[in-house]
Amino acid sequence: MGDDGRGGPARGPLITPALDPPELCVHPILSVRSALGLLAVAVLLLAGCGPGTSAVPASGGRPVRGGTLNYAVDAEPTCFDIHASQQDVTAAMLRNVFDSLVAQDDAGRFHPWLATSWDITDGLRTYTFHLRHGVTFTDGSAFDAAAVRANFAHIVAKQTRSQYAASLLGPYAGTDVVDPHTVRVRFSRPFAPFLQAASTTYLGFYSPKILAADAGELCAGGPRAVGTGPFSFTSHTRGQRVVLTRNPAYDWAPATAQHSGPAYLDRIVIRVLKENSLRVGALTSGQVDVAAAVPPVDARSVGADRKLRLLRKDVPGIPYSLYLNTSLAPFTDRRVRIAIQRGIDVDRDVGAVYFGQYRRAWGPLTDVTPSYDATVRQSWPYDPVKAGQLLDEAGWARHDGAGFRVRDGRRLSISWPVVPTYLRDQRDVLGQAIQADLRKLGVEITRPSLDVGTYLALSYGNKAQMLDFSWSRADPDVLRLFFNSASSPASGGQNMARLADAEVDRLTVAGAESLDRTARDDLYGRVQHDVLASAATVPLYAPSSILGVARRVAGVGVDPNAWPLFFDAWRVSR
Amino acid sequence: MHVCEQAPATGECGPAPGPEPARRRAVLRQLLRRLLSGAAVLLGAVTLTFTALQLAPGDPVAVLLGPGTSASPQVRAEIRAEYGLDDPAPLRYAHYLGRLARGDLGTSYQLQQPVSQLIGDQLRPTAELAAAALALTVLIGVVIAVATAGRRPGLRAAALAWESLALSVPTFWLGIVLVSVFSFQLRILPGAGDQGAASLVLPSLTLATPGAGALSRALREGLEAALAQPFATAARARGLSPTGVTMRHALRHAAASALNLGGWLVGTLLAGTVLIETVFARPGLGSLTVQAVTDRDMPVVMGIVLTSALVATVVFTIVDLMQRVLDPRLRVEAVDR
Repeated sequence: MGDDGRGGPARGPLITPALDPPELCVHPILSVRSALGLLAVAVLLLAGCGPGTSAVPASGGRPVRGGTLNYAVDAEPTCFDIHASQQDVTAAMLRNVFDSLVAQDDAGRFHPWLATSWDITDGLRTYTFHLRHGVTFTDGSAFDAAAVRANFAHIVAKQTRSQYAASLLGPYAGTDVVDPHTVRVRFSRPFAPFLQAASTTYLGFYSPKILAADAGELCAGGPRAVGTGPFSFTSHTRGQRVVLTRNPAYDWAPATAQHSGPAYLDRIVIRVLKENSLRVGALTSGQVDVAAAVPPVDARSVGADRKLRLLRKDVPGIPYSLYLNTSLAPFTDRRVRIAIQRGIDVDRDVGAVYFGQYRRAWGPLTDVTPSYDATVRQSWPYDPVKAGQLLDEAGWARHDGAGFRVRDGRRLSISWPVVPTYLRDQRDVLGQAIQADLRKLGVEITRPSLDVGTYLALSYGNKAQMLDFSWSRADPDVLRLFFNSASSPASGGQNMARLADAEVDRLTVAGAESLDRTARDDLYGRVQHDVLASAATVPLYAPSSILGVARRVAGVGVDPNAWPLFFDAWRVSR
Repeated sequence: MHVCEQAPATGECGPAPGPEPARRRAVLRQLLRRLLSGAAVLLGAVTLTFTALQLAPGDPVAVLLGPGTSASPQVRAEIRAEYGLDDPAPLRYAHYLGRLARGDLGTSYQLQQPVSQLIGDQLRPTAELAAAALALTVLIGVVIAVATAGRRPGLRAAALAWESLALSVPTFWLGIVLVSVFSFQLRILPGAGDQGAASLVLPSLTLATPGAGALSRALREGLEAALAQPFATAARARGLSPTGVTMRHALRHAAASALNLGGWLVGTLLAGTVLIETVFARPGLGSLTVQAVTDRDMPVVMGIVLTSALVATVVFTIVDLMQRVLDPRLRVEAVDR
């Protein structure tokens, strides 16, 4: 999934897809609006927007067919083309419309879906999939080997302007149709992460007819987005709603689903309610059945409502973290990086800003990511005394009139840009807590506000001292994207810390060349410890998808990417 | 309207020479001047926006591909070339104007749809919202002004207090309050979305509030000034009721000065739709604008600026013409000039 589990403009470095509506231009409005947000919350509390009083229908029981589910999301896809978009919200919505070759379970294992079996040969360079028979797209055309080839060709075509799917295909070299139900996907290098990539919506399959006729218009979504999934994409009204309708012919649910055959619900109506108070109010007042991205501040009251329950799932991948640019002063000195790592009271800051709803992160992978190494826990506790000693040793022993450390007449000052477009999860408030912690240590943090263009120029040009973001991906290969020296941002990677560590390089490449679970756990465990020891990153919290679900709806699931699944959902009462 | 192309003096068309053709010619000249200045405003808006977008930092292709892309520098260069972003700015400006002259607003970088279609789709909900809010503004403003002009001090004080509140309350906050009360608590009106007339009530009321406050204050001041004039006294002497004097005589005077607010009002309404559309999760040009500016989607931004400039020009022209209708002095001046 894109960035951490939520919608928002960026799938990428999720510095922060906007949780709130993207607010352009006007910065004054930002501050006014946050103040107003507080006011609004106060008003809602005064108005008594609390739990209702009607009886709670029991959930569970026998699934019932039929009915419409109203689902509120916090962001609208900019582009609905799963092969082009990098947005989490696109992949999450269209998970109901497009199927994948394989399905991933919560333990990171892979199960048959559109492929009934697969062989991996040639040292992880060739994946041969044996496709399920009898699968059809909702326009009636057959899903076969040629369809797989046409879709992968569409992903890598320049005209698609793929923001993400193309990177999931990695060192893609081509697809061969062996026979109508056997397809061979080739890579120029060993590529272990391919099965996980193939399990995501981004590598889902359009009807080849659509790719031939309407490839240029897939971003608009709507009925031309023809897949094989349990629902078809009936309509999209921009700024308003997306309607999905049950595919009655569906009979190829993955092994990870709870039932086979078509979905229970007749329709899913997805409404875009960007404003948090509006989305939560619509859920608590019964106007929608499911709401995505329940803000931490509201999670407790929603959870306490007898008519509602919370479905929570941590997002796999890279937690929301700071990246200390090891190639720029003062972070060329590892002691300064460690001082920053140990001088931030992560437990207290994360707990206070997110009301205990998000868990603090200890390593460069979140707990739910395959090959997460639990021994990173408690390995770098808050230690301001040690942090101060390290800065003294590094020559930043004297203080100026304002209380900041100085060396050779220069203040220990670090620029950490903030990009309002990407801001979400109140990360600016968390940033203030971090600023305050480091102020106590004598380190000045400045936060210039940048637009996306300036930010990207800074990042690609290696001029940013400190950056922050999270990245969702249910495969530890994401560590290669973030910490391998070949993954510089300008070349399509995300190594914002500009870490150049021969051991990390070797281990992350070896990990991409192995499918053996034990070997991978060992390789990636060492990477996680090495990256922490290099202090190139300060993990802060694991983004979490918090879904509010009315009890009149049962069977709503959440997949390993933290995307909600409605295939097994049904209305308990209609 | 009948247009006389020939000099009226020849008598080839129109009635005999006299004050009528002279006036008509003057009106035509006015209209022509209006059209020319309108075209100049549009060209200026396009040029300014184009320049501003050129000066904005960063590479549009980098923004287009987003921070999570794995695109190599070569792929970026190809996309740049395809959009003609490597051409010199004056050449791109000329190309843009050329396409514009043919009625082609281009294709959105991000949404990959024709800009004219995107704007066309989003124009209706925004126009509905703005029109409903304008109607409410005028209704509330006129009713309150007429009901309180020249009346008891207590009534006037209450109206003044309401106006101050209406002008200063943040619309964002007001919107959230209205939704939580009428939609989430009382459940009598939809709180969000665009589902028919009922869903227009709360957003247009929110949007209309500040303008209604400004209008009723301006109108009441105008009414009170008019009611102090001798003609009002004369009308009362003829036995007209106070309300009759206000409605039949003073309102026309007051309206002429209140109309000066018209341009400001429409501008405020259109700008306000951005916030209101966000609060009430309505589709419309506001949400499209926010997204386009955020994504540096140049063709969409240019298209929206053009549309807004067009709307503004039309509105100001209408306001001007209405002032001429209401205030005969302006018509006389036009002829004299």
